[in-house]
Amino acid sequence: MQRVQALPDVFDELVAPDGTPRPAAAALVEHLRALELAELQERQNLAEIDIIAQGITFTVYSDGRGIDRAWPFDIIPRVIAASEWRRIEAGLKQRLRAINHFIDDLYHDQRIVTDGVFPADLLEHSVNFRPECRGVSPAHGVWAHISGSDLVRGADGTMYVLEDNLRVPSGVSYMLENRAIAKRVFADLFAEQSIWPVDSYTDELNRMLVSIAPHGIDDPTIAVLTPGIYNSAYFEHSFLAQRLGAALVEGADLVVGDDDCVYMRTIGGRERVHVIYRRVDDLFLDPEVFRADSTLGVPGLMRAWRAGTVGIANAPGAGVADDKVVYAWVPDIIRYYLGEEALIPNVPTYRCYYPDERQYVIEHIEQLVVKPANESGGYGLLIGDRATRAELDAHIARIEADPRNWVAQPILALSTVPTLCDEGIEPRHVDLRPFILSGASQSVTAGGLTRVALRKGSLIVNSSQGGGSKDTWIVEVD
Amino acid sequence: MLLSRVADNVYWGARYLERAEDTARIVRTYTELIVDLPVSVTSTWEPLLAVVGGRWAFDLAHSEANEAAIVSFLVAERTNPGSVASSIDHARDNLRTTREVLPREAWQAVNDLYLFAQASALDAVDRRSRARFLNRVIGDGQRVEGVIATAMSRDEAYQLWCLGKALERADMTTRVVGVRAASLLAAEHTGGQVYDDVQWMGVLRSVSGLQMYQRATRGPIDGAAVVRFLLFDPVFPRSVTHAVATARAALLQLPRADETVAVVDRVASLLAGLPTVADDGAALDAVMDEVQVGLAAVNDAVVGAFVRSSR
Repeated sequence: MQRVQALPDVFDELVAPDGTPRPAAAALVEHLRALELAELQERQNLAEIDIIAQGITFTVYSDGRGIDRAWPFDIIPRVIAASEWRRIEAGLKQRLRAINHFIDDLYHDQRIVTDGVFPADLLEHSVNFRPECRGVSPAHGVWAHISGSDLVRGADGTMYVLEDNLRVPSGVSYMLENRAIAKRVFADLFAEQSIWPVDSYTDELNRMLVSIAPHGIDDPTIAVLTPGIYNSAYFEHSFLAQRLGAALVEGADLVVGDDDCVYMRTIGGRERVHVIYRRVDDLFLDPEVFRADSTLGVPGLMRAWRAGTVGIANAPGAGVADDKVVYAWVPDIIRYYLGEEALIPNVPTYRCYYPDERQYVIEHIEQLVVKPANESGGYGLLIGDRATRAELDAHIARIEADPRNWVAQPILALSTVPTLCDEGIEPRHVDLRPFILSGASQSVTAGGLTRVALRKGSLIVNSSQGGGSKDTWIVEVD
Repeated sequence: MLLSRVADNVYWGARYLERAEDTARIVRTYTELIVDLPVSVTSTWEPLLAVVGGRWAFDLAHSEANEAAIVSFLVAERTNPGSVASSIDHARDNLRTTREVLPREAWQAVNDLYLFAQASALDAVDRRSRARFLNRVIGDGQRVEGVIATAMSRDEAYQLWCLGKALERADMTTRVVGVRAASLLAAEHTGGQVYDDVQWMGVLRSVSGLQMYQRATRGPIDGAAVVRFLLFDPVFPRSVTHAVATARAALLQLPRADETVAVVDRVASLLAGLPTVADDGAALDAVMDEVQVGLAAVNDAVVGAFVRSSR
């Protein structure tokens, strides 16, 4: 008989504060409460053995060598009611429609700047704006084809967008693998409830990639471009290539001909490639245009893309909208291009660019998370209530020296999901990364990848820093 | 539309996996043979080093050529690039980058074997646990073959897999014939060797050939007949003739067959001119060296045709 309970003042995804299950999670919670802890731990062990045997790994760098680690997975799923998910899905599509309008506008007329909605000097200082992309018109006006937007739920139950990952977001293969394992662990529950399947993602991805092929190519050859075996997401690159039936290529496998077309080097000679799903960052894509020392890219690839002989997802330059300062403007961007209010709110964000908001941040810094605009992986991030006075003062000085590079948000109590720990079932904090595909049309994964901070009290969900993952169930409730 | 890089990895992945399986079989058979022979017959483990190769590296790592040192070197040691454990590592490294062209279960079986070898290769040093380890290596190699045979489309990647397997088998059988069979034949002529039939059965077992030999010859074990079987039998898959024909058939299904088939045909005609040496140990050893040089030329032609020429 398992205790499945929530923390005070934190929203739990499976149980209400009084311990009663949330409606969509009722069958699951009942099932968990009927199982002995030893039985659950046995199922957890079997799941881990599966993961190791199937080689489901992520790579971490240590001593200059890539080491494969087994993917960390907790068997207890996160459950979301289908009725709520339909609203979230609509909100994510709305968000990406607006963001794609925004990127396309920035590389053409910059109407949003002329109209005074987005400040010109922010654009001038964006490290992810690529002048080389000006004037290019990718198919359907779409630049961010594959987006992973991180969602978090606050104490009052509101779901917020925390950030938009528009460059090379990863995690979708783990979402699919987690489901395959969860179906074995909880076979009965899948049989007796209506849980949305997630498997169609790779078909949708394929459809989207076909839709961005050069004009007149109906049956394009698709390649997944990986930085190689030492990249932390290599497993995913290989997984997606398999599911797409695409070639998994490295930069050296491709060559741009004098005709500005891209070719793969095959055992039968050169073969034309029409669409590239690239998992290599912008700056490494083409040594002729970006970093000249890049060995991961393909000389001439930008030339081919500009000539329209190859579709690239995500488009070079799409990262301009993947920036914590631009994030703060997304509600305005949605209003400007679509004439709509955002269906999913941003986490309230103070923009140090504006003097009054900056003043608020400086005065309340110990209650805020302060983030630099263009660093990822938590670098330069300050959590006010966990910092010393000296650290707070140092950050205030940095904000005053370069205000446009800083934003701040209230410290959120991320929602929890009961998680199997050594001591039994305990609540642990989670976020959620759904994936949004945009091409000729849009689609959203059924749920996404739930990441969980396995350490007690921790809010850090990254797999490289003690984070794990869970399956995510979108459940129909009658 | 097979990438040259992936072609290279499939080919070498197949070769290394075959090498791991073949080396495991040779060590297993030799252990059984030593156990069978009475203590009065002097038994040495050094012929194993001669078959598998690596004497020079062995002497660097070990001062004494006893059973434990030789088996450890051939099975478990990663300083030996040809050991069973190293071959499994190389097979996995190569096949890791070919997961989109091989059936998923094949990769999983290779990964399983890798994890098992990481944990247990040293078990092979102790005679009591040796068979268990080696049987698993051989069994997993067969499992991968089964998946490939039943679940993989007969595409270019499949042909490269068959090519890698066939060339490695041909190479391994020529080593067994050149070293073990040649020395047994030489000893027969001088009347020095006893328990001939047990030794010759060992030679056949080390390439899984005893049962098929017995079916093919329906007679007692005879040294010259064993050599002829291992070199020329047209239907036994590990005979050199059959392995070379398999390699040829694979090359015909691949691009640039006009360049590569000629090289494998030279090995085939070299073999065809050999029947007379089958009972002369010293000549046999020399000729097997020639065949190995021919097989190495096929390897170079393959790598040249599919990898270098597309740069």
